[in-house]
Amino acid sequence: MPPAADTTRRRIAFGGVLLLVAALPFWVRNPYQLHIASLIGVYWVLIGGLNLVAGYAGAISVGHVGLLSVGAYAFAILAGPHGWHPALAVLAAGALGGLCGLLIGLPSLRLPGFYFAMSTLACSLIIGELALAKQNLTGGGVGLAVPGFAAPFRSARGLYWLVLLLAGAVTWFTWNVTRRMWGRALIAVRDSVIAAQATGVPILRVKLTVFVFSGVTAGVAGALFGSLQSYITPDTFVFEMGLFFFVCIIIGGRGSIIGPLIGTAVLTALPELSAPLARLSNFLYGVLLLVVVLIAPEGIGRLLETSIARIRGQRPTSLPVDPDLRRLAAAIRSGHSP
Amino acid sequence: MKLRCDRSGLGVIFAVMGALLPNLSTTAWAKDKESIRIGWLSSLTGPQSTSAIAENKGVEFAVDEINRAGGINGRKLELVTRDTVSDPKTAVNFAKQLIFEEKVVLIIGPVNSGESLATIPVVAKEGIPNIIIGTVDELVDADKYPRAFRPINTNRQWIEAANDYALNVLRRKNVAILGDTTGYGASTAKAATSALEKQGIKPVYSALIDQNKTDLTDELNKARAAGADVIMPWSGNTGFMARIVNARGDMGWSVPIVGHPTVMAAPLRKLVNKPTYLDNTFAAGYSSMTYDDKGRLPATTKTLQEKIRPRLGDGEIAYSFWWVALGYDTVKLAEHAIRSAGGTDPAALQKALEDTRNFPGVYATYGYGPKERNGFSDKNIVINQANSFKDGVYRAAPR
Amino acid sequence: MLTVLVSGLASGALLAAAALVYNVMFSTSKVLGVTTGQTAMLGGVFGAWFMTRLHFPVIGALLGSVIVGAVFGLLTDLIAVRRVLSRSDEHLWLLSTLALATITQQAVALWWGTEPLPFPRIIHQDFGAGLLDQKYWLPVVTALALAAALELFYRRTLYGKLFLAMSEDAFAARARGIPTDRIRALSYVIVGAMGGLAGFMAGQLTFAYFAVGITLSLNGFIALAVGGLGSNAGALVGGAALGILSAGASYFIGGEYQNTIAVGVLMLVLLVKPAGLFGAQVARPV
Repeated sequence: MPPAADTTRRRIAFGGVLLLVAALPFWVRNPYQLHIASLIGVYWVLIGGLNLVAGYAGAISVGHVGLLSVGAYAFAILAGPHGWHPALAVLAAGALGGLCGLLIGLPSLRLPGFYFAMSTLACSLIIGELALAKQNLTGGGVGLAVPGFAAPFRSARGLYWLVLLLAGAVTWFTWNVTRRMWGRALIAVRDSVIAAQATGVPILRVKLTVFVFSGVTAGVAGALFGSLQSYITPDTFVFEMGLFFFVCIIIGGRGSIIGPLIGTAVLTALPELSAPLARLSNFLYGVLLLVVVLIAPEGIGRLLETSIARIRGQRPTSLPVDPDLRRLAAAIRSGHSP
Repeated sequence: MKLRCDRSGLGVIFAVMGALLPNLSTTAWAKDKESIRIGWLSSLTGPQSTSAIAENKGVEFAVDEINRAGGINGRKLELVTRDTVSDPKTAVNFAKQLIFEEKVVLIIGPVNSGESLATIPVVAKEGIPNIIIGTVDELVDADKYPRAFRPINTNRQWIEAANDYALNVLRRKNVAILGDTTGYGASTAKAATSALEKQGIKPVYSALIDQNKTDLTDELNKARAAGADVIMPWSGNTGFMARIVNARGDMGWSVPIVGHPTVMAAPLRKLVNKPTYLDNTFAAGYSSMTYDDKGRLPATTKTLQEKIRPRLGDGEIAYSFWWVALGYDTVKLAEHAIRSAGGTDPAALQKALEDTRNFPGVYATYGYGPKERNGFSDKNIVINQANSFKDGVYRAAPR
Repeated sequence: MLTVLVSGLASGALLAAAALVYNVMFSTSKVLGVTTGQTAMLGGVFGAWFMTRLHFPVIGALLGSVIVGAVFGLLTDLIAVRRVLSRSDEHLWLLSTLALATITQQAVALWWGTEPLPFPRIIHQDFGAGLLDQKYWLPVVTALALAAALELFYRRTLYGKLFLAMSEDAFAARARGIPTDRIRALSYVIVGAMGGLAGFMAGQLTFAYFAVGITLSLNGFIALAVGGLGSNAGALVGGAALGILSAGASYFIGGEYQNTIAVGVLMLVLLVKPAGLFGAQVARPV
């Protein structure tokens, strides 16, 4: 099939999926399923940002749940007792998440991977402790009710579309980032720091920027999450949640956008489809993570791709390098670039 | 970067959507012989599971008993159980699933305050009646959650009974309050402190301690140095309570402990260094779960124990029996509401429960009102002696 | 005040043991496994199980716990580390050990339950012994013994020297004919045994509880970072310092800020002296 038609087919398929997803509140069976779909979207807002950090730049942040709780509490406090307009509160939540990302990332991103991972874990524990200790601010153990958004986003459907909007924005943004030089820089940082440094990539600045960005998305996701849950307590934001975010990315495949998106959807929906699975969910996340790391570190998406290709009997194609030798020789001789 | 693995990706997306799409739900039976679906949100696994498992036994037994007697007006009860894994997010998801997919007419639970805080607004928004089992005072509100009714006591009732015993019976004045750093422990300790202050007593020592802290001798030493003459611990964590009791015993400090029922929980007997450490320890308990001076149980408690004993396994009951009785009562309360309302219409159920006065249960007697959603009356609470545990029930503390 | 010191030292000793475990793990494989805390958890849980359910004598339970720890250590190498190291990606072992740690923790929770269960007395002793109680000095003695044993091992035995060789330069070691895979497996067995022993000895302090692992991995790591990666003396000092600081903080300021203070210390040390107090300055490749 000629390339142009292939792209068109792809575009049509993509548009169809988009339409289906946007119209979800209408064809979904009941508000419970709408709730799960909204939850997937909310998680994706955070995971989409975290994907740049963990999937592309390779910085293992297991404590991102702390930034989620910062966003949730910020939104609950500002839009609730302080009466801010919800849109403003969401922006503030995102900004606060980004600020916390900066505070956490600045000292710890220059450290080796394990140190950084432990620092994020420790920071998420601190945030949990502070949420509990500062009773007057956060309600302590009793927690806080989280207000909804302004109309038209107040209803369950409205909230879903708001989530869809923001998730779409995050997806579009990260997809563009990864297509350009930034994306290559991130992958270089992940796979070979020394080579990246040698080619002039400012390692710390790159990592810090994506980490702060992931803080912003986590803050926004926190606000959405809180509104969806309608009530938050410190118990809601446990370490296992940070692990869950992480597993979604790894299972989906590092270095891909659609992979983690599918991973998020599947892993969120799975415990809902089968009640016994909910009980074993943390155990299964560990097993899945281990299996993926050992067998398919590129993620299940890639594994599917290669197995489908192998079944079809396609040989792995490589892009042939086919330079115009005469032109190249002439350029070398004359000393100019063509 | 191209939209990689879009074909396999699309396939997976469609698979997930397909799973969420219309599942096979029950087709409409003849309406009057349709079973009554009751949702049960319980944390059967996870850190808070001990009480939930015991309550579950009571709930399931009550449902079986009612069904064996023919159900309610010929309609059988169908219990739809969901294990919330002690996680508020799972609890919210399952609450919505129960309401929208399983189409239950009433929800019992969740069992813990942490989960209840999250699910009660969600259930209330859909107008589904909710019988709740968390003790945190804020859970119940006749205006915000008109269809949420609570049969279990409130934290306030435990706190007031314990305070009364410590201050008026034991005649102590210098109180040391210890709480753990979980949501429940911290908020209960705070409530206990303000209850004391309302009576004009300021605690001489007050601390929130991480529940995994390995040794509490420091804190108790500080309490002793501050002149405390009674320790009042407020926590739902058995390990934490055990460490308090152990530290007091190891120090040889003969000060009474009066506090949360967990301090007299059965597992503590194995966690304390010496059985004598449990002397001089008292906790809030229930008149229905207390032996009288002749060692006899109240009649209703004895009846339930005998009926349900085959299901509880061999040997003596090694956990607090009131959990079982509470579970049993929640279903009986639901049955009473459905019978009085003549059906499962939510507004009628609400009215039926509001009109309930002196409904006799095993665990307690319940009464509600148009503005009253806490059904457990103060007089049902007594103070028990921790080391008197036998077969799920205690003896009263000396007065 | 003295009690703060003693209890801080005791809990700090467990952290120091975890840091020692990290050191050994790092020396042969350049891996810092999140499974460190789980070895101690297994030591505690299995020790309690051997003694209370199977009624082993103390020595038998001790040996049993050490063996369980050693087996777990070996499994960590075989499952989480070996395959991963053969690829060059430096982050995968973090994920695989994290996954294995989660699996272990959840499996133990499903089997043993989520309530902390009692850990019986090891040596006959009256409970009123106060500060001399065995639950305080057993972990301290264990940590010191482990450190001393490691020193002896590195200096006097051939295998110890092989470990040192591998930690200096694994390629060169292999070139000299050292079977690095087997040595690494041996080091992980030792790691597991050490963790199991430490967990057993500290059992009376922590109770047999499934959730001990992750916090121990984290705090043991903080002790390691403070003391300096690669230094056993640093591990001891770091553990003691962190333990005493934590105990002091919760005594004077209150238990709500325990983690905040511990991590604050970590951040401070890492900012000022990233190599830790006794750590070797690693030359950065340019």
